[in-house]
Amino acid sequence: MAVTTMIDSPAAATRTAPRARRRGTFGADKLWALAFVTPYVAIFVAFVIYPIGYGLWLGSDPASYRALFSDPVYPRTVVNTLLYLLFGVNLKLLLALLLSGFFMRKGWWTKFLLLVFMLPWAMPALSSYLSINWMLNGQWGLINNLIWQVAQVDGPPWLDNSGFAMGSVIYGHIWKWLPFWTLIFLAGRMAISVELYEAADVDGASRLQKFTHVTVPLMAGMYLVCTMLSTIWALGDFNAVRFISGGGPALSTHVLATLGIRNAFELGDPKLGMATVLTALPLLIPLVILLMRQLRRSEVTI
Amino acid sequence: MKLISRRQALGGVGAAVAAGTGLMPRRAKAAGELTVWWTQGFYKAENDAVIAWMADWEKRNNAKVNLTIMNGPDVITKLIAGMQVGDVPDVVHTVTGDRFLVPRAAWNDQLEDVSEVVESQKAEFTETALISARLYNAKQKKYSYYGVPTKGSSLMNSVWLPLLEEAGFAATDMPGTQDKFYDFFQTVQDKLRSKGKRIFGLGYSMAAKEADAGNLFHQFLVSYGGVGIVTPDGKLNIDDPAVRQAATTTLERLTTPFKKGYVPPGAINWGDVDNNNAFFARQIVMTPNATISIAAAQMDKPDLYYKEIITRGIPMGNDGKPVASVLAISPTIIPKGSKNVDAAKALLRDFIQPANMNAYLKETRARYLPVMASIVKNDPYWTDPKDPHRQVAVDMGLTKPTVPWWMSYNPAYSAVLSEQIWPQAEANITQRNMTPEQATEEAAKRIKQLFEQYQK
Amino acid sequence: MTAQRRHRVVDSIGVSVLSAVLLVWTLLPIYNIIRVSMQEKEEVLSTSVYPIAPSPHAFSVVFRQAFWLLETFWNQMGNSFFIGVGVALLTLAIGSLTSFTISRMRIRSGWMLTNAALLTYVIPMSFLAIPFYGIMGKYGLTNNPLAVIAVEVTFATPYAIFIFQQYGASIPLELDEAARIDGASPPQIFFRIYLPLMAPALVAIGTYALLLSWNEYLYAFLLLSGGKVVTVPVALGKFLVGDEAPWNYLMAAAIIYAIPPLLIYYGFRRKMSGGLTMGGVKG
Repeated sequence: MAVTTMIDSPAAATRTAPRARRRGTFGADKLWALAFVTPYVAIFVAFVIYPIGYGLWLGSDPASYRALFSDPVYPRTVVNTLLYLLFGVNLKLLLALLLSGFFMRKGWWTKFLLLVFMLPWAMPALSSYLSINWMLNGQWGLINNLIWQVAQVDGPPWLDNSGFAMGSVIYGHIWKWLPFWTLIFLAGRMAISVELYEAADVDGASRLQKFTHVTVPLMAGMYLVCTMLSTIWALGDFNAVRFISGGGPALSTHVLATLGIRNAFELGDPKLGMATVLTALPLLIPLVILLMRQLRRSEVTI
Repeated sequence: MKLISRRQALGGVGAAVAAGTGLMPRRAKAAGELTVWWTQGFYKAENDAVIAWMADWEKRNNAKVNLTIMNGPDVITKLIAGMQVGDVPDVVHTVTGDRFLVPRAAWNDQLEDVSEVVESQKAEFTETALISARLYNAKQKKYSYYGVPTKGSSLMNSVWLPLLEEAGFAATDMPGTQDKFYDFFQTVQDKLRSKGKRIFGLGYSMAAKEADAGNLFHQFLVSYGGVGIVTPDGKLNIDDPAVRQAATTTLERLTTPFKKGYVPPGAINWGDVDNNNAFFARQIVMTPNATISIAAAQMDKPDLYYKEIITRGIPMGNDGKPVASVLAISPTIIPKGSKNVDAAKALLRDFIQPANMNAYLKETRARYLPVMASIVKNDPYWTDPKDPHRQVAVDMGLTKPTVPWWMSYNPAYSAVLSEQIWPQAEANITQRNMTPEQATEEAAKRIKQLFEQYQK
Repeated sequence: MTAQRRHRVVDSIGVSVLSAVLLVWTLLPIYNIIRVSMQEKEEVLSTSVYPIAPSPHAFSVVFRQAFWLLETFWNQMGNSFFIGVGVALLTLAIGSLTSFTISRMRIRSGWMLTNAALLTYVIPMSFLAIPFYGIMGKYGLTNNPLAVIAVEVTFATPYAIFIFQQYGASIPLELDEAARIDGASPPQIFFRIYLPLMAPALVAIGTYALLLSWNEYLYAFLLLSGGKVVTVPVALGKFLVGDEAPWNYLMAAAIIYAIPPLLIYYGFRRKMSGGLTMGGVKG
């Protein structure tokens, strides 16, 4: 069946919806609908509701929270998590937005560059993070070796100083995920009708003005959704901290995800581990609610 | 073309799932089948020895053993998770279990009482081994044996002879008392630096991770008179002036060389393997290590093993008197919830017979020491005069005086170790500019909080 | 120089600088991993920037499984494949079925399902590691790769549903209507109309799901044990705990592990274009 997809704006699609609804669904259809959603519902009950419920139960002991808040590592961990989210997410998405503009250019060089640029996303996290960890090693790492060869001085203690180590972890996260979000924004930009830019050109708009008056408003909704999604995913990012800084030096670069695992398995207290990660709920729940709202909104207007 | 492939894909998924469940055998919990978790050794021969021994035991007893060999931290992690959900193996051989897991599990009544196993060889075990196996069960309010001692390890110092010689010293120039010994290496570094070599004299870890930093701290603590930090009946004694002084001195002695540049700056982030690496790369002149693994890893290079790498025990106290080694004992346990307790006990009873232990420990290339004096007496392997390293290890761990770690007195000390309180104190001095007295006070505060959670 | 020419020169300088920065930024860790994999053990702990005597020795060690920590490397690669492909296929199947039902069949509680799917993200994946370990025990899936597949699918599917809905919004419902008039049943509409038109999104999500599980460490580590059953990241993690640290072997193994997803991504890249859109599509 040859079908062409020549829809310029999805608004056209939603316009056809009311007509369909008037038709209604047949009885047999209802059975099919049920059959089709059953796999997901089954997964949801077995692997979302039950684990979350069990997790909440594990983390419901007030004694765990008392122990958690008295742990000297905990306050630092919260700060680290917030820093990680603040810089890791926002810097990355800002760069992604700007780079997506760059990658809109035509030509084989841009295409080639994009190909290379996507490497970090395609490469497994473990391979990348181990490489970054070794690269930043104060004694044997590539970066400090380079600095030594060029300037005959010892390079900075990338992983041996709390501030640098936190920066290194954020760097690793951005390195790995920047390509993915750039691609998302690129796809979003490509959906913006060229006519809008042409109209702006006619009005004599500069590149910056085109960006702020055409691109940004149209991408705003998507940018917001991406920020929220990326924040949620970054909150749970265990691999970057674990393999780049290991939570060191002196337990000063832990984030909630890694501290939870450390509490559960190194201190041998699974309840404490669960309590650790549950302290992120005051941030998570509003985020998810906002995300749901934003997605509802975008379904109607985009 | 797309339509067919999708249908096929869905069908294929179904088939794969079905095949998958068929291909992966469920862990059969047949009656009498023992599930044994063993900590992976460092040499293939070690693992092979265990596998062979288990196979042999299976045959002799007409039983089935389901053996999984995993690395140390995995064993502990999976056991913790397993104990949380009630799905535990029958026998778990740990190497570092005595530090974090076993005393706490015993306290919480999560381990089977293994007195019958330990009693079967009671006369053989050294006193330190027996003390570390005897733990308190808070639920049943009694002391009993909850871990079967299998092997031991204590701290030793490895030194590069060629580097000493380059600095103009001989092996005999190494002082024998605590302060002078460690200061000596600062002199060595100065001499080597003046020759243009970028080498560090003291290569000890100061990281708040793994075990090396904690091991060195506690050995120093004993050398400076702080062995009474926890009394044998489990009371915390950190306010005792002698203990306080010992802790403060230890912190000061460990952090001052770091601040002066005698310890590699990366040492605050070293995993247990990094001091080995630095040593082999000849970046450091000496390094303390909990076993003779540094030398043993070079067993196939006779020049290095027999001549260039020196193993020294811990130095004598500043007063010239011998210092007891802090001896860590690796326990093998039977978690509660095991469905084959009797069979597990029988297996362990058999394993700890001196002849069997000896055969197994020899495969570890003396990285781990026997906990039975007779093994050393009866098998010349352990006192082989041709091996310059083994003798030192055996001396430190068996022949000369030893003291057990304090976790067996009170599991709260396990928490002290897991939270890396003393290495954190070191970091407070080197990174956050506290004085040793302030750092000791911070540490003491936290330790007291932890001990409050373990009131009998 | 006219303003336009000046503009173009500044432009090309800008592009060159940016290109150089992007290349260095992207390739630095990749250069490093290749460099270390080609070094000999002694050289790993040295101050070299280029490998002095590059050799593929480490690769041959990994290939022949000649190092004790690599003894079951190919089994582990196989496990990673099994899990990766399983996750991709299941995510696609379940995600597309669910999104089809929500957006095409117009069931009344569709939005509830979408929201419920987002609930999955309330607690990030790594936070649920401990509960999952317990639950997999209760489901009898201890030490079973299906446990890891289940976890990955659970966390990939909400995103899949979301993307499918966004992408599917561009496919006019009139097509469904026309087919319905012709007497097609929902499964027929699904297979003959929906899926073919969703192809770019399917390829994109399949790749995403595969990469997601290829990246997984924590769950593979907790839910699987024993050399033959674990995946490669878990095996590589064991290198970091021990007495010697042959980083060259570690990096060589990590490179081999990176090749399949790279091939898959670059192979399917073209079919993916536009598939990951989150709001309309164009070409």
